[in-house]
Amino acid sequence: MGTPARRPGGRGASPATSWAFLSPWALAFGLFGLYPFAFSLFASFTDYSPVRAAGARFVGLGNYARALHDPAFWSALGNTALFVVGTIPFTTALALALALAVQPAFRGRSLFRTGFFLPSVVSVVVLSLVFKGLYAPNGSLNGLLAALHLPTPAWLLDPDTALPAIMAMDVWSASGYYMVIFLAGLEAIPRDLYEAARLEGATARDQLVHITLPLLRPTLLFVLVVNTIRSLQIFAEVFVMTRGGPLHRTTTVVYYLYEQAFYRFDLGYASALAYLLFVLTLALAWLQMRAVGRPVEVSA
Amino acid sequence: MSGGAAAVELRAAASPAWGASLGRWLWLGPLLLTMLLPFAWMAAISLAPRAGGSFARAAAGPWDLSSYRALFASAHLGRYLLNSAAVATAVVLLNVATAATVGYVLGRRRVPGEKLWTLGIVATLMLPKQVLMVPLYLVMARLHLLDTYAALVLPFAVDAFSVFLVRQYVLGLPIELEEAARVDGASDWVIFRAVVLPLMKPVLAVVAIQSFLTNWNSFLFPLIFVDSDRLRTLPVGLALLSQTEHSVDWGFLMAGSTVASLPVLAVFLLFQRHILSGLLAGAEK
Repeated sequence: MGTPARRPGGRGASPATSWAFLSPWALAFGLFGLYPFAFSLFASFTDYSPVRAAGARFVGLGNYARALHDPAFWSALGNTALFVVGTIPFTTALALALALAVQPAFRGRSLFRTGFFLPSVVSVVVLSLVFKGLYAPNGSLNGLLAALHLPTPAWLLDPDTALPAIMAMDVWSASGYYMVIFLAGLEAIPRDLYEAARLEGATARDQLVHITLPLLRPTLLFVLVVNTIRSLQIFAEVFVMTRGGPLHRTTTVVYYLYEQAFYRFDLGYASALAYLLFVLTLALAWLQMRAVGRPVEVSA
Repeated sequence: MSGGAAAVELRAAASPAWGASLGRWLWLGPLLLTMLLPFAWMAAISLAPRAGGSFARAAAGPWDLSSYRALFASAHLGRYLLNSAAVATAVVLLNVATAATVGYVLGRRRVPGEKLWTLGIVATLMLPKQVLMVPLYLVMARLHLLDTYAALVLPFAVDAFSVFLVRQYVLGLPIELEEAARVDGASDWVIFRAVVLPLMKPVLAVVAIQSFLTNWNSFLFPLIFVDSDRLRTLPVGLALLSQTEHSVDWGFLMAGSTVASLPVLAVFLLFQRHILSGLLAGAEK
């Protein structure tokens, strides 16, 4: 606040119109943003449940203490962490490799850019259904593996392979999206750096290691953090493919949150879990801002 | 924004000869085909209901549309499709309208505390909506909006990313035309309608396409806000169908998946440049 109402850009504008233009956002932000946010902070200190006759009781930090001692919550956190650690290196490497492959001009380049990006526009529900079919014990994937005399696990039905199977689908479906972000980063690198390097006899590998990768650092950090935040929210895949099983081995944090809120109707506890997830996400978003805001040194 | 958009245009400006490109085709071609194989499976199984989910048997045929017919006859797929289309249309229209007005005001710095407002928007942008799953549900319950179309539309009528996109775009627009119109005695509303809105068309197209794709594929909120079968959108209807007696009816489920994918694929192929420029504007924020 404290900014003067009329600055050079706003000459002659009527404040009334401006407020009228701004009001839809203010209303929506208040009603569907701030209000739920504040209300659920309050709910997280109670044992509110719509299916119980008695009203909500104030339980203080009880729900938060319960979360810290809830093995199921820790197991969900562990599954989510495994998901993040097990997908992001592969997704990033594949996305970067694809971006490097489709950056230079060649005939039919647009076909490949479009094709690799394609999975990103299709609904996760659809992708999950397709992969559930492919992963079926006597499905097409195992048919192929059997023909190659490789082991044929039960994939989504086996506690040891269910989460990795979902992770593999995520790597497949997300890399095209991050490929485009890497392409933007690659295009932003000044061409003349490569010209100068070539004149001094640098090989393609030298150029990659000493120009491309260092200058791509901000893009890389952006991709890493955005993907981490996205991976913390994995839900539809689990809902469609495994419903958290077998043996809760694919229960992610958001899926656990969903179960607590909409199967057990334990909304006070679920609100507390949502706040914990919020703090975790916020910490990562803060990291993202810092990572992106950092200037890069050009050493040519 | 425009710099990034121009930089990653899908069409190569001056393509080299086919011969020089062959090397890349030799290894990128098989890779792309492998990556698109799941979609080929989806389409093949949807057309070969007797294949029982086997790619080899499906490829051999015979192909027919019986899965699609069964889908529209026995399940309420037509209804889900209509719901998805209606909700997506409403959300897109509202999104474009609110992004245009709010983004314009913020871009022209016409309100006190413009920086604070913008910061609020950027903060909302960073936060995935899923963390609001429980609180939003509670608010919708209090407003008696659960299990209505309004629950599928209203919370998504204003989108922080869209507002931010328009604001950035307006910052780059010359103000002279607006000032000239004001000198001529035009009112704020007339200036907005007749001068600013036509200039904003490109960015509003990006907003419309992005919000269509996001909304058409949206799953979590339609799942928790709506209970009745007649209000279900396509992704929710499909996901719940897959957990009924149809759970291994692959021809049936893949026909539904194909129907759910065709609109987004069409929009993507028609407007891929707009989609990528919106994506890159996000990356460059």
